[in-house]
Amino acid sequence: MNQVFEEIKQAVIDGDDELAAELAQKVLDEGINPVEAVQEGFIKGIDEIGTKWKSGEAFLPDVMMAADALKAGLTLLEPAVAESGSQEGEPVGRIVLGTVAGDIHDIGKNIVGALLTAAGFKVYDIDIDQSAQSFLAKAEEVGADIIAASALLTTTMGEQKELVKYLVEKNLRDQYRVIIGGGPTTKEWGDEIGADGWAETADQAVELCKELVLDIKR
Amino acid sequence: MKSGYVANRSTRFSVLSDDQCREIVSASKEILERTGVKIFYQEAVEILRKAGCSVDGEQVRIPSRLVDQALRMVPKRVTLCNSRTGERVMHLEGYNAYFGTGSDTPFYIDPYTGERRPSSTQSVGNNCRVIDALPNLDFVMSLGISQDVPQPVYDRYQYEAMVLNTSKPIVVTANDAQGFADIIEMAEIVAGGPEKLRRNPLIVLYAEPISPLQHSMESITKLMMAANKEVPVVYTPCVMAGATVPATMAGTLACGLAESLSGLVLHQLTKEGAPFIMGGVFTIMDMQSTIFSYGAPEFHLLEAALADIAHYLNLPMFGTCGCSDSKVVDEQAGIEAAMSILLMAQAGPNLNHDVGYIEYGSTASLEMLVICDEIIGMARRIVRGIEVNPETLAVDVIDQVGPGGHFLKTAHTRKFFKTETWYPTLIDRKIYANWKSDGSKTLTQRANEKVISILESYQPEQLSPDVKQKLRAVVERAASKCQK
Ligand code: B12
Repeated sequence: MNQVFEEIKQAVIDGDDELAAELAQKVLDEGINPVEAVQEGFIKGIDEIGTKWKSGEAFLPDVMMAADALKAGLTLLEPAVAESGSQEGEPVGRIVLGTVAGDIHDIGKNIVGALLTAAGFKVYDIDIDQSAQSFLAKAEEVGADIIAASALLTTTMGEQKELVKYLVEKNLRDQYRVIIGGGPTTKEWGDEIGADGWAETADQAVELCKELVLDIKR
Repeated sequence: MKSGYVANRSTRFSVLSDDQCREIVSASKEILERTGVKIFYQEAVEILRKAGCSVDGEQVRIPSRLVDQALRMVPKRVTLCNSRTGERVMHLEGYNAYFGTGSDTPFYIDPYTGERRPSSTQSVGNNCRVIDALPNLDFVMSLGISQDVPQPVYDRYQYEAMVLNTSKPIVVTANDAQGFADIIEMAEIVAGGPEKLRRNPLIVLYAEPISPLQHSMESITKLMMAANKEVPVVYTPCVMAGATVPATMAGTLACGLAESLSGLVLHQLTKEGAPFIMGGVFTIMDMQSTIFSYGAPEFHLLEAALADIAHYLNLPMFGTCGCSDSKVVDEQAGIEAAMSILLMAQAGPNLNHDVGYIEYGSTASLEMLVICDEIIGMARRIVRGIEVNPETLAVDVIDQVGPGGHFLKTAHTRKFFKTETWYPTLIDRKIYANWKSDGSKTLTQRANEKVISILESYQPEQLSPDVKQKLRAVVERAASKCQK
């Protein structure tokens, strides 16, 4: 196996995004198989961090930095992978993620975004204080599978409901799976507003998205 | 004659030396000059530009002379009053440490069923009644958020529920500047007019910058309104070491303090001499669970260090204690509460909030609250220290009793045992057999009984029907506007 794959894997584990990008460039420059680089390097690295995170060996900054390194490399390799016609490197799913209108809490959302990225999803983060319109506009632009909305305030939770309502109004409710989360939200709230899922932690959010994507493919 | 005799009037806990305080303050000034802060409100940016700040879009760099100037202008003490009597009950200055609850938890533990339920206007009212009844709690924050009312105007309902149920000073949260304006109007009704409210403040506004180094429009408009109306304001960064500020304790202090000081500069430029209380809920992000920890030792260490800085700067300070990451009132909750309360009592921030929070600030528990009331009693006894004088040294009495006697019957004991020792109301010191015959109850069980008994028997001092009616009118006015 090419030595560079091992280096890529290590760069992801170390959360070194500069090195990860450099190595991805090397793969391109030296005509190394980009699909193998993704499989044997990037995915292996992020899998290892994921396992360590679950067992409590890796901590949040390790995961967030690994996700960045993964992103840096994949962005460079994507065109080459696509050209090869391989499905490898294709994201598990596309997710538009943001914090709802009137709410500026973003730490939880950022963590959810990083863990989803680490799990192979392509995450389009539209940031804080976003209306239902902006969620949908982004989702249409990128062809999202899932729209994920974070709300940390009881006073802004209502915007999650607005989001679902807005999709219904636009006759686009079936196009997207909508998931919600954030401190004051509950499973009951998700059911009440007709969301497709709710998760209490970032880990559960990843599991939820994996299930929803499987469901879409079915 | 005792020449140069030094006495400790109380016990004290301090983390930083004056030199370290100076170094941290200096780093904050450097952050403000070099990096600056973002301010998402044009009017505020203009005020700062005119005062000599360097403005680059929303980013404002603040010269240190403006910080020094604000520190000279701001009052060194803030007084808060009882809303029924106008009595000046809290003096926020020096090492005076007062205790109160926290604000907008989405959930509370129902004391009758033990269930975790969404908080409501009623739970807020009940909680305030319990706070009013507890002797060691000095001020009130809502300990829950009114979720059963139109959310854009929840703040008016919440303030009404609070002021009807307690006469202690209240720290309020407000949705926006309009909400805050209505609350001020309500407080003026209670105080008996704007001038009376200004003279004898009954409310304090709670507002927050966004870490790192940002000030939102909502916060800034509220902050400026507080300044203009001379309503005291707590401006408090809620920072998480490793996430929104550096992972190092010193870096956390420097960055958080820069946020506070930039708020202070704008506040004093808005109205010179308006009352300001420096905040700081400085803790860590737990890198495994991702929570903003309310029980970490670093939290208490940072709060105590910030108190040193507040004393160094001669600013009243808002501290935090009596809260926990535990999901229930258990041993962990007790440990975290006790450690934080004692440390705050000894470090001396003035307005110590969040007493009664569990689940990292998401849930309010009245059992936690009454247990903390007891802990505050213990802490206050420790802080009171040891009085050393000929009468307390009791050499004469010792001589009278002599070797082998006892002190149970001396007049000296009768005179002093009650003032020198603290007596519990919840902590159990019974003889085993009596504890057993009283039902072998745990602290949490006894706490629950105390909560129920207060809820069922205690009545706060009422406001006059006229005042109540006027308050209702403000709430209804806001509600009707909101429906349109
Ligand atoms: C830090 C903080 C702030 C910071 C935010 C900084 C930032 N850049 O985000 C600042 C200081 C700016 C802030 C402001 C306010 N805050 Co605040 N804040 C907090 C605090 C202390 C921690 C939040 C946090 O980041 N936690 C850590 C993260 C990692 O957890 P998390 O966000 O819950 O996310 C996890 C899960 O929920 C989930 N998740 C999150 N999003 C999503 C999305 C999806 C789709 C899924 C599936 C899962 C998911 O995964 C995450 C990782 O495990 C909480 C207390 C608390 N207990 O949460 C109060 C809290 C949320 N704030 C509160 C309040 C009242 C406010 C203010 C209104 C205060 C005021 N009066 O000015 C303002 C509102 C500003 C606004 N318009 O949004 C209240 C909420 C009350 C309510 N109404 O519901 C709380 C509960 C504090 C309290 N007890 O009073 N706050």
